[in-house]
Amino acid sequence: MNRNKSDSQLAKNYKGVIGKIFIYLLLTIVGILMMIPFLWMVLGAFKSLKEIMISPPTFIPKEPTFKNFIQVFKKIPFARYYLNTAFVTIIPTIVTVLTAAMAGFGFAKYKFKGAKFLFGMILATMMIPYPVTIVPLYVMAFKAGLINTYTGLIVVGLSSAFGIFLMRQFIMSIPDALLDAARIDGCSEFRIFYNIVLPLCKPAVATLTLFSFTSHWNSYIWPLMIINSEKLRTLSIAIPMFNGQYEQYPNLVYAASLMSLLPIIIIFIFAQRYFVEGINLSGVKE
Amino acid sequence: MWRKKYNKWQRVLAPYIFIAPGFLFYMMVTFIPAVVGIWLSFHKWSIISPKAKFVGLQNYITMIHDERFWTAVKNTAIYSLGIIPGIVVFSLLLALLLNTKIKGIVFFRTLFYLPVVTPIAVASVIWMWIYHPRIGVMNSLIGLLGFNRVNWLGNPNTVMWALIIIGVWLAVGSKMIIYLAALQGIPRSYYEAAQIDGAGKWKSFWYITLPLLKPTTLFIVITTTMGAFMVFSQVNIMTQGGPVDKSLVLVYYIFERGFTDLRMGYASAMSMFLFIVTVIFTLINWKLLGRNVSYE
Repeated sequence: MNRNKSDSQLAKNYKGVIGKIFIYLLLTIVGILMMIPFLWMVLGAFKSLKEIMISPPTFIPKEPTFKNFIQVFKKIPFARYYLNTAFVTIIPTIVTVLTAAMAGFGFAKYKFKGAKFLFGMILATMMIPYPVTIVPLYVMAFKAGLINTYTGLIVVGLSSAFGIFLMRQFIMSIPDALLDAARIDGCSEFRIFYNIVLPLCKPAVATLTLFSFTSHWNSYIWPLMIINSEKLRTLSIAIPMFNGQYEQYPNLVYAASLMSLLPIIIIFIFAQRYFVEGINLSGVKE
Repeated sequence: MWRKKYNKWQRVLAPYIFIAPGFLFYMMVTFIPAVVGIWLSFHKWSIISPKAKFVGLQNYITMIHDERFWTAVKNTAIYSLGIIPGIVVFSLLLALLLNTKIKGIVFFRTLFYLPVVTPIAVASVIWMWIYHPRIGVMNSLIGLLGFNRVNWLGNPNTVMWALIIIGVWLAVGSKMIIYLAALQGIPRSYYEAAQIDGAGKWKSFWYITLPLLKPTTLFIVITTTMGAFMVFSQVNIMTQGGPVDKSLVLVYYIFERGFTDLRMGYASAMSMFLFIVTVIFTLINWKLLGRNVSYE
């Protein structure tokens, strides 16, 4: 009897181990398939021109070289593109976080006339797909003289409905008593926001900062439309152009791509929890 | 006295002041352009000519008779139908694998989510080289399976497949997270009850997990379809709608008419078509799932 029991236990454990190995195997296979573009880029960035042109292609570089990275800076004003991208990413990110926190606070903690209407309007306009707004936005930017300017690049990214929802959701969990206590002490509404609410919002602020940073860094369509001047190019515009001009040098294209991805990948790896949980936190699934 | 009055007023005004910047900046890039777009769709106008001419429904009539417009609609529909099964199957599979209690889940979750945060412009460039007929890794991979080399992006028969593969790759990570949240929301007691009744793993999956995931799947199908109608960047970078219009999708065609030919009015009319399609899908979404369904 006893023996039988331990036998079945053993069989169960054995089955569990097989199951685990199977899961790991599947995860690894899918993981490698999903990683192919990244692996291909990283490995290619270290291959020499001669090696990268071999058909069928090699996978691991035979004589890894760093020259490609230096070459990129010699061929195009890559540093300039990098700074451009950083500039039109950081400013809208800061503004977006601030406007979203303020609006989220307004919607979460006040009863006022028109609250429902204003909130409903944000909800309704969220449904408008970007291709609907892109042509008129271009026309508006043209009329306002914002084509080929940093202002034009920045001005479309100063607010985010996702951010407002996220902040509202988070601030609703802050107890009203805390705010009322501050009011009794003579705190103004703006000081309440700045000194009490904002410091309590750190996790939501972190999440929104990350989302906003990546979406601005990755932005492609709007810069594509309003930037012609070489001086204002962002990485998302420069990399495909570089690819077109240096078609015979895929190794340089890989090196440039890798460098342009680096900030995003680093941020993501260290803060992936915020990304993944942020999706659930806001209830907005996209 | 003054102080009291000031306090009262600032409490009344405060919410409006807090909301104003976020609200106005948002309306400036959504609501106002949409209204301008509706106006534009009834006018003939290129950005270089001084005045817009009212043409009534002319742009919409042109659209209905434009063969390339319908090609674009058809291609967009093919693209949607192509990515939906791939995304649903793969993201559910990954979510199921990640929902097990094994070590290294965070590592794999990070791997699978990575494409979601990758800039589409850079990803498109890399994929172009992956699909390269002579030195691309895609042909090496299918070579292992015994297939001949394919000119993925240059062949009218394969170009859509190439785009569908990228579309699935891009979206699987984010949909997987939605499935994962839904899976974790299923009460454990359901499975325990099934186990007591003698149901095995497969049976619990078929009779508990899958039915309970139905709303999530529906949500994913609808949002994927809506997302598929917006596809543009990879087409613009990789194929420019070719070869022979086989990858001409709707937004790319809007872009072409609007910015290459400067037919702003016509482009706006086509974007209104897209708008209506989106509204229909959103309404279906609400009707089937309810406005405030929670997937957590």
